[in-house]
Amino acid sequence: MFFLKEETKVISMHPSYFGPNMREYLIGRLNEEEEGRCTGDHFVICVMDMVDIGEGRVMPGIGQAEYTIRYRAIIWKPFRGETVDAIVTSVKPTGIFTLAGPLSVFIARKNIPSDIKWEPNTVPPQYTDHADQVIEKGTSLRLKILGVKPDVAAINAIGTIKEDYLGPL
Amino acid sequence: MSNFLNQDFGSEDEEDDFNPAPQEESDAEDLKVKPTKKEHSGGDGADEQDDVKYPRDTHANEEDDAKDVEDDEEIENEVDDDDEEEDEDEEEDVASRPQKRMKRVANPFIEDEAGVDDEEDEADDEEDELAEYGMETHPDDLDALPQGTETDDRRHRQLDRQREIDASMDAEKQAQMLKERYGRNRAAATDSLVIPKRLLLPSVEDPSIWGGRCKPGKEKEVVYSIQKRIEERPAGSRNPIRIISAFERGNIMQGWFYCEARRQADVTEGLEAINFYYPSQKLTLVPVKEMPDLLRVQKSEELLPGGWIRIKRGKYMGDLAQIEEVETNGLNVTVRLVPRLDYGMNDDAFGAPAADAKRKRGAVNTVRPPQRLFSETEAKKKHAKYLSSTSGLGGKSWNYLNDNYVDGFLIKDMRVQHLNAKNVNPRLEEVTMFARGGEDGTANLDLASLAETLKNSTAEDSYQPGDPVEVYRGEQQGLIGRTVSTRGDIISLQVTEGELAGQTIDAPVRTLRKRFREGDHVKVIGGSRYQNELGMVVQVKDDTVTLLSDMSMQEITIFSKDLRLSAEMAADGQLGIYDVHDLVQLDAATVACVIKVDRESLRVIDQNGSIRNILPTQIANKIEPRRDAVATDRNGAEIRSGDTVREVYGEQRSGVIRHIHRSFLFLHNKAQAENAGISVVRTTNVVTVSARGGRPTGPDLTKMNPALAMQTPGGGAAMPPPRRGRDQLIGKTVTIRKGRYKGLVGIVRDADDSSAQVELYTSNKPVHIPREILTPKDPVSKQPLSMGRGRGGGGPGGRTPHTSSGGPGRDSWAGGRTPIAADSSRTPAWSGAAARTPAWGGLNGSRTPAWKNDGSRTANPYDGNRTAYGGVGSRTPSWTSGSKTPYDSSSGFDAFASGSRTPGWNAGGATGGRTPGWNSMSGGRDQRDFDDAPTPGGNYSAPTPGAYAAPTPGAPTPGGWAESAPTPGGAFSAPTPGGPSKRDYDAPTPAAFDAPTPAMGGMAATPGAGYGGNDGGPRYDDSPSP
Repeated sequence: MFFLKEETKVISMHPSYFGPNMREYLIGRLNEEEEGRCTGDHFVICVMDMVDIGEGRVMPGIGQAEYTIRYRAIIWKPFRGETVDAIVTSVKPTGIFTLAGPLSVFIARKNIPSDIKWEPNTVPPQYTDHADQVIEKGTSLRLKILGVKPDVAAINAIGTIKEDYLGPL
Repeated sequence: MSNFLNQDFGSEDEEDDFNPAPQEESDAEDLKVKPTKKEHSGGDGADEQDDVKYPRDTHANEEDDAKDVEDDEEIENEVDDDDEEEDEDEEEDVASRPQKRMKRVANPFIEDEAGVDDEEDEADDEEDELAEYGMETHPDDLDALPQGTETDDRRHRQLDRQREIDASMDAEKQAQMLKERYGRNRAAATDSLVIPKRLLLPSVEDPSIWGGRCKPGKEKEVVYSIQKRIEERPAGSRNPIRIISAFERGNIMQGWFYCEARRQADVTEGLEAINFYYPSQKLTLVPVKEMPDLLRVQKSEELLPGGWIRIKRGKYMGDLAQIEEVETNGLNVTVRLVPRLDYGMNDDAFGAPAADAKRKRGAVNTVRPPQRLFSETEAKKKHAKYLSSTSGLGGKSWNYLNDNYVDGFLIKDMRVQHLNAKNVNPRLEEVTMFARGGEDGTANLDLASLAETLKNSTAEDSYQPGDPVEVYRGEQQGLIGRTVSTRGDIISLQVTEGELAGQTIDAPVRTLRKRFREGDHVKVIGGSRYQNELGMVVQVKDDTVTLLSDMSMQEITIFSKDLRLSAEMAADGQLGIYDVHDLVQLDAATVACVIKVDRESLRVIDQNGSIRNILPTQIANKIEPRRDAVATDRNGAEIRSGDTVREVYGEQRSGVIRHIHRSFLFLHNKAQAENAGISVVRTTNVVTVSARGGRPTGPDLTKMNPALAMQTPGGGAAMPPPRRGRDQLIGKTVTIRKGRYKGLVGIVRDADDSSAQVELYTSNKPVHIPREILTPKDPVSKQPLSMGRGRGGGGPGGRTPHTSSGGPGRDSWAGGRTPIAADSSRTPAWSGAAARTPAWGGLNGSRTPAWKNDGSRTANPYDGNRTAYGGVGSRTPSWTSGSKTPYDSSSGFDAFASGSRTPGWNAGGATGGRTPGWNSMSGGRDQRDFDDAPTPGGNYSAPTPGAYAAPTPGAPTPGGWAESAPTPGGAFSAPTPGGPSKRDYDAPTPAAFDAPTPAMGGMAATPGAGYGGNDGGPRYDDSPSP
């Protein structure tokens, strides 16, 4: 699910950057560091705007200035039970690996409808029900997230397509 | 009817006994009498009627052959009127009295009796009828009718009827009735009603239990004898035993047995002359509280076919076995085992295995053959004579060494004692051995029975507070909650769902199972080979949970009791210190990445891509991951651990770099199931797909701004490093080149960037003069010194030769100035001297030791307080001497003028390093010798004349000097004696030198003064200036 979240970040700046472009430097830095970041809990999709850049404080001893920036960002936190669209990245006998945006979702064999079978002899290998449903690398899938496992800087999830309206699009 | 008398005596207060009556009856009338007797016998005797009526009845039948002649008639009647009778009975029960009366009226004799027993209740009535029916089954009758069916049917119907009646009675009445009937023995009531256990606990009103001693091991026999005695002398007999029951506790209480009775006297009496009983030891009364404990049974494991057990002893000790069959006596069990046979392979050629049992056993103990299914081909090799085929149903049955083998399994009869049914804990790999026998090759595992076995062995500690659980059987079935605490095998759980939410209830472990949801991250905590595996639940079905291992991406099916929720992030098993994906050193040339951790061994993939199993002991050490390890890929791009790379050739594998070791990369790819996702590639064979996520590409704001840094090399705008120490100009003797003070000489007292405060010799008054117009001068020679402008010049290398020559020291010889030009009054030597001899260099700049006697300066003129940049710093000794000396010689000046003098200067200047010659001169006496020496700082004044004296034209041959120049000590010592005699030197020096060069004479004082000024100003003033 997507959220608009207000967060703060502290950026310290070398004195050599002090000058008229300071703001641009800060904003550029913030975007670079934050956008696309995964906290293990959510993904930061986009920094919307700065709420407050605040005053820089020169830190004693090193001369760098510290800016505490408050900004708003669009984040995505995947939830158990959420239905997402994803693209198949690889197909293995054990299941299907997909990417739903930045989130990698694995669909275990058990969570694939029993009529969709593993077909290793085709090129590329695929899961298919020998009808209109073919799942191979690159296929778009609609899946439901079953569980989310947070990691230090990544999120792993497992999903299912063993329900109505789920499966290849 | 004497019988009756007997009967009455015996049974008045005792339980009614059914048997005696029929025995005594001999005629038709007795039939009718019997019920009345029952009525006599009183309520408390009726207890067991329901349960035992059939045996009693049949008993009665057999005994009553004689009298049954008459019964026939009645039977016939009753057969006809069955339904009517039933109706009657019902009516009786509903409004019993009148009916009963009516019935009894039929027999006048009975009626009398009945009249007496008016207060009897329905129970007895029923008994009456029972009795009657019992009587009805007469052998004759049985002949006429199909024996079993007739009687059975009737009895069944009667029972049904009775139940109907019971059911139709209103509950209260029924309760009352039951209470009357079973009031004495509450335990019996459990049959009809579910009564909470605690209500069944004995109270003081119940019979007491006495414990008696007997010979240990003979408890059972004692109990049997008591039982027998009770049977022989039942209540109601002439000498009844009033012990209600007797029991023992086997091994738990050896040497004890227990009797239940009302009074101790009853027990003592009943135990008379029982074998193995020790009457001498007092009977012990068991307190009411402890009675339940006494009877608590540790439920022996129930052995069911299909269940799993372990063998306690023998060849198969510890092996898992499946129960094939349990014999009815419960003592013998037929089990199915995976045989351990060596087929005589380890036997001596002559020794038949069965022949020498003892030896065989020894052999077995040493080497136990592995568990393998029976193979007849192997058995035929050596032991064909012990092998015989038995035609089983499957046809695959063999008899080998007196054991039966079916489908490869050993089928063996064993005694229960040799089996262990507790904590069997079958492991999956053991169980799969049994499954292998499935006909179609599919695993025919009976998971249910396996689950059952496992359930019994569930350790309490497999539940921990916070585990989500579900009650799946028992009263509380369906409850869902979280465990709060565990004690023993009782678990308190807080209900989280449903009506009872929030309440805490207790439930035994065996009724619980853990509850997981799909997507839960769990850890396998035991009971299987997947121990410590982490994964995510993908399916939950009853008791089994399928999870997807984090490590291998494989599905594992496992019992929920072996799982628990895991908060751990890392997805690895551990063996000691080794984790999956760790890099380990195997030997000096080999490293490997751990791809699997088993209980005892590790599976690794080494740098060459080969996979091997190793023991932890084979690992030299673990290589800690180096975060900063860097390699370059095929294109020369930098790759670090964490980057994603792809193979260029070969399988085009890709993955995230886990480890970098020399030119090998260990990649991890989640989508790869084999080798735990690890593969090995060479750095030269990969290209970067993406750098580690989030490595910013923009400028690092915490570092120097690269845009600014770029400018420095060209523009040189960077600020010079701050200068340290004093301004070089301070303390120098300077002349002023411009302005109103032009030409005056003074000493710089203070200086800043632009101006200097100069204390003029003349006016003794400090004046501020711009630095630009000051020219440092040698205080002795008054020769202009080349010196860094300002505060000592620019950065390293800033002072170029040009600068130095064009600077204040413009008279540097590099400028090619002739001595004359330099200063007309000066001898060429002077000019040369001004130019950088090492000594001069030292003088010039920077206080070589020779120059500065104040001790604050270090001995090394170049590295000392002089900055490298410092004007003089640029002159290396080699430079000075090398370039100058030839010049001097070639230009026709006295070679000694420059070169040779140098040592003199050096020696003269160096306070500590004087040559002997100088020493002699420079002593206190030297000062005395030089009358004009204005300063007591003889050190300087003394050498000075000498120094200058040496180069004067009148001096000895220049060649000698020149040659001796390189080594100051030698130079000086050599020329000194060789040139002017020492004496000459001593004596004439001041005069001689003073004389020829008057300027020198005047100057002679100067150095001393100059230095004196350096040390302390005032002295300078006194110096005579010509």
